[in-house]
Order: sequence, then C-alpha cells, then structure tokens
Amino acid sequence: MIIQFLLTLIAIAGFALVWRRASQGVLSRIESLSWSVLWIAGVIVVWLPEVASRLARFVGVGRGVDVITYLVLAFVCILLFQAFLAIDRLERKLTDLVRADALRDLEKKG
Amino acid sequence: MKVIAVIPAYFEGSRIARVITDVKAFVDEVVVVDDGSTDISSETARQAGANVFRHAVNRGQGAALRTGTEAALKLGADIIVHLDADGQHDPATIPQLVKEIEGGAEVVFGSRFMGAEAIGMPVFRKYVLVLAKTFNRLALGISPRVTDPQSGYRAMTAKAAKQIDFRQDRMAHCSEILRLVTHSDLKWKEIPTTVRYTEDTLAKGQKATDAFKIVWQLILGAFQR
Repeated sequence: MIIQFLLTLIAIAGFALVWRRASQGVLSRIESLSWSVLWIAGVIVVWLPEVASRLARFVGVGRGVDVITYLVLAFVCILLFQAFLAIDRLERKLTDLVRADALRDLEKKG
Repeated sequence: MKVIAVIPAYFEGSRIARVITDVKAFVDEVVVVDDGSTDISSETARQAGANVFRHAVNRGQGAALRTGTEAALKLGADIIVHLDADGQHDPATIPQLVKEIEGGAEVVFGSRFMGAEAIGMPVFRKYVLVLAKTFNRLALGISPRVTDPQSGYRAMTAKAAKQIDFRQDRMAHCSEILRLVTHSDLKWKEIPTTVRYTEDTLAKGQKATDAFKIVWQLILGAFQR
C-alpha cells in the first residue's frame, strides 16, 4: 500500500513537472501530452494491476509485470537514442563554431 | 584551372612536411587543416609552404576536410583534391584525377580495387571493405558501380564541392560523400589509385573495428536535419 502511494506521488510530481516545463516552452505540446499519458498510465497500473495482467495476456506475455518491464526497457532505449541524437546535434554545432573560428582570418582577408 | 589540395592533419608533425612537398609538385596550393593537434603539425606544415587552418579542438577527419574544402573555395580553387596526411595516397595520381575533371567529370574518386595494387593492405581490411561495399549498397543505396566504399582520395570541381553538403565529422564522411555524389546529378568517375600501407599508417589509421562506429555515425546522421 505504501509503495502505491509513493509511486502515485512520484507520478504526480512528474506530471506537474511536465506541465511546468511545457509552460516554460521547454517541452512541445506533443511531448507534454505523451509524457502526461505515460504518467497517467503509470498511476492506473499502480492502482489497477489487473490492467497490466490483461494487457500481458492480450500480447501473450506471461505476467503483467513482465509486459511493464518490456515497455519500460523499450522506452529507455528510445530515450537513450534521443540523448545520442541530442549529443550529435551539439557536436555538429560545436564543429560549426570551430570551423568558423578556423576560417576567421580568411574571412577578414576576403 | 587552380588546383588546391586539402589535407586534414592530426598529430602529423613527423611526416606532414614530406607529404606537402610531394603534393606541391602537382597542385597550385596546399591547404592543411590541423585538427586540434598539440604537436608541431601546424608549424611544420606552414614551413613546408602550406596554407594552414587550425581547429581549436579535435573535430575529426570529416570536419577537417570540410573546413579545408571551404577554405579552398574561398581561395579560388577550381579543382579541390582531398588526400590523407600520412602519405598513403600517391600524389603522382593527382594529374590523372585532374585530367578526368578537365575531361568532364565533376567528382573523381581514387579506387583501391580497380587493378592498381594496394601495397601492404591487411587481408582482414579487404574483407571489411567488401562488407562495407555491401552495406553501402543495401543501407545507403550507393551504386554497385562504386568499387571502393571508403576512398579518401578524391578530386572535385568547385561547383561539386559547393553542392556536396557532407556533415559527418568523423570517419563516416567517406560513405556520406559517396552517397551524396551518386544520388546527385553530378558526373562522377572512379580511377585506379595506389595506396601504400605501412606500419606507421596502419598504427594510426582506421581499424577494421571502426566499421561499427561508422555504421553508428551514419544511423545518427540519418536522423539529423
């Protein structure tokens, strides 16, 4: 029971943070909605675990907790890939800066 | 026609001077991009008569090549030749690359698999390059007519250099350039070229396992822009 309350509190905090970041313009509307759906789904599964069991039976995975584990794993992989993409974007911006600096003298002469 | 050679260099202080001297005999100007080395690469290259541009931090061979290409365009190049700083590319091939451009080609690649002998190439690398060719064809849609999937020795017109918007900073730029060129309306060609592998070039050059990094860089690149 305590764990259910704890997880719900975490979900509420996450939900509030999403919309705070959205109001600051950090997250887009689609991103905010996706995160919100995720947090709400989390709360539903916490209080109604049979939903996860029903989903597990539907997709052919043994237990509800297994299907949640697979979904979380897939989600973490997507997040990790997004992080790699963000790093790659930053690397490209850094290269543009380094290049502009390297060619600065040539620009002055030109 | 003003021909400018672009040579990216990273910790090449011990061998860059000889490469520049050899290349200078075949081109009007040499541009060296020191990719953040902290040795004497820049000074040595300058003393050898190259126009040197310096990256403040290391950004990779692809990034250095692009910097050098942009510099060459600003310096008024009509033809730009890319080659490595370690001396593995034979500068005597430059007149043939230029001749093909003057004959109507817009991009000419030097190929290690058209009859000219690749001296000292490890057998394992040959197999990796065969796999790379298959990957290029299946994943990137690069024409099967391309015989060398990772050629770093190439020449191009100024127009082609402006058109080829390669953005891979590190080792994947070879595949990216091949894809951009073969998917464009540019007239391209491959000619045989001799590449000389020595203990020195193999110690510092690409490893066969870098193929995995190249694939990963290409995957990330596919999701950019």
